[in-house]
Amino acid sequence: MPASIPRYLLQTAQRLPDKVAIISRERSATFGELLHEALTTSQCLREIGLVPGDRVGICMEKSIDQVVAILGVLFANGVVVPILPRLKGPNIRHIIDNSGMVAVITDTDRLGEVKEFAGVTRLITGHGAVTEDWPNLPYMRRFVQALNGFDRIGNDNAAIIYSSGSTGRPKGILIAHRNLAEGADICAEYLGTGEDDRIGCVLSFNFDYGMNQIWQTIRQGCTLILHELALPNDLFSMLARERVTALPVMPVFLTKMFDRRLKVDTSRFDLSSVRYVCSTGGRLSADMIADMRGAFPTARIFSMFGLTEAFRGTYLPPDKLDAFPTSVGRAIPDCQILVLDESGEECAPNAVGELVQRGATVTKGYWNDPVNTAKSFRQHPRFPGETLVYSGDKVYKDENGFVYFVARADDMIKTKGFRVSPTEIETEVLRHPEVVEAVAFAVPNITIGEDVACAYTSADGKPIADAVLKQFLKSQLPNHMVPAILVHFDSFPILGNAGKHDRKVIKQQSFARLGIAPPAHAA
Amino acid sequence: MSDTTDTIDILIEYIRKETGFEGPLAADDDLLTAGVLDSFNIVSLALFAQERFEVDLDGDDLVRDNLAKLSSLAALIERRRAEQA
Repeated sequence: MPASIPRYLLQTAQRLPDKVAIISRERSATFGELLHEALTTSQCLREIGLVPGDRVGICMEKSIDQVVAILGVLFANGVVVPILPRLKGPNIRHIIDNSGMVAVITDTDRLGEVKEFAGVTRLITGHGAVTEDWPNLPYMRRFVQALNGFDRIGNDNAAIIYSSGSTGRPKGILIAHRNLAEGADICAEYLGTGEDDRIGCVLSFNFDYGMNQIWQTIRQGCTLILHELALPNDLFSMLARERVTALPVMPVFLTKMFDRRLKVDTSRFDLSSVRYVCSTGGRLSADMIADMRGAFPTARIFSMFGLTEAFRGTYLPPDKLDAFPTSVGRAIPDCQILVLDESGEECAPNAVGELVQRGATVTKGYWNDPVNTAKSFRQHPRFPGETLVYSGDKVYKDENGFVYFVARADDMIKTKGFRVSPTEIETEVLRHPEVVEAVAFAVPNITIGEDVACAYTSADGKPIADAVLKQFLKSQLPNHMVPAILVHFDSFPILGNAGKHDRKVIKQQSFARLGIAPPAHAA
Repeated sequence: MSDTTDTIDILIEYIRKETGFEGPLAADDDLLTAGVLDSFNIVSLALFAQERFEVDLDGDDLVRDNLAKLSSLAALIERRRAEQA
């Protein structure tokens, strides 16, 4: 069967029409219903003029309606572009402009913040009550019979996911239908996800990891249970009540699930149904592993790693976790991880080189950005005609082929499951009238990955009260990007020539003043 | 002014300071759904409430149904205050 999610959904809905595919707080939908809603949504979108290849933004709360909107765009031969709610104006504007978006599907709660972009793109609500002001999919669907005009092949564009880079605005990663479909097959294979599984989904559908749970559900005919993790007791009672078998998380979720201050007693919940817990997006600490084992004694634990440019790269088989706890594991099925030296030769075991990935999950490049695409998506003489992803990340492989992370390619700050660009932080800090210079950097914090920190100098040489500066930044930046730590400098040390800030020294001095040890490179 | 109204005012002041949210905040709004609170600062809110009102909230209290609306959080605080006084 040609690889695409719409074809997988057609197949599964024919095989299991009455099986519950997805459950949320408000409602549930069978595979038959999901297919019907996706098809009728695609027809609505065609009726308002969507043509194949058009980019459609999705800015919605996690819900079945959000899944339907995503699938509807795919069935309409469009390209899905997730927009993280509360991203704030300039970034939304960038994503709309850069992707050439023709419409944004949003919901009533988010309409207020998205409305200001109505001049540049069409707004549709995918959720909620019928309004006269905005076209509304639940209303439009009543007048439409299901039609199947899906004509995309595996190589066609399916989605663009914007991800922060260390410089400038977020880059859009262009994903083919084939990438999504094969991502579902590959993950289901090594995780062992099957028809009987019930996936507890705390992840956001604005990123590839969360979306992949939809794709696996559709491919395998299992059931997806949506949950917004705010308080751990609610999550654990949902897991027990719904008899969840599979739980994909990130380290930042684990920190929250096992937050000692919230007095969670997992022994009160019957969590014996959980077969596996998988995690990506940061290193698992020994405490996190112990907490998972305590709460889910029968679950297999998968530690995973991936580049956004290739969705997923490695996983550590659960039975290797104790022997190789600091390894990110080995390549996922149908992909290969190479460790290359500067001349492009493969490194000997334990020698550090650049992580390069080839295989089914390698995406098509950056949307509308040939310069950066040419930098990261390149050919290698050993694999003529094939495009590989060059990560820039420094890693090594041991004698057993297990991969170990050494250093990231860039200065990106990883906080609360987000990749945050220092440049974006600095841009906003510099908008404060008293701030003269700013340098943002990461401070390790195992509970959330890293804290965002920012050093600055001021016009009158006096520190700005933390509360005042943070309050100012909160109006400009999403919460996860507001620096947790602010460090005032009388003046910044300058690198020898060209008057560039010596970021390294600024960071070192900040660490010294904060009384914390500088981050050691993980070996 | 009732105790509950005072409690809600104090909670609102904290939320505005913590989140920078300047829009309207009604006692019966679901602040998670509305996007005023996220999964991180709802925890901070719970911890603030315990400290500020000197009440001990146990695991069963710290659930979405009690914390997502100011009215239900204020009611919980009043309840625990009465019991623990």
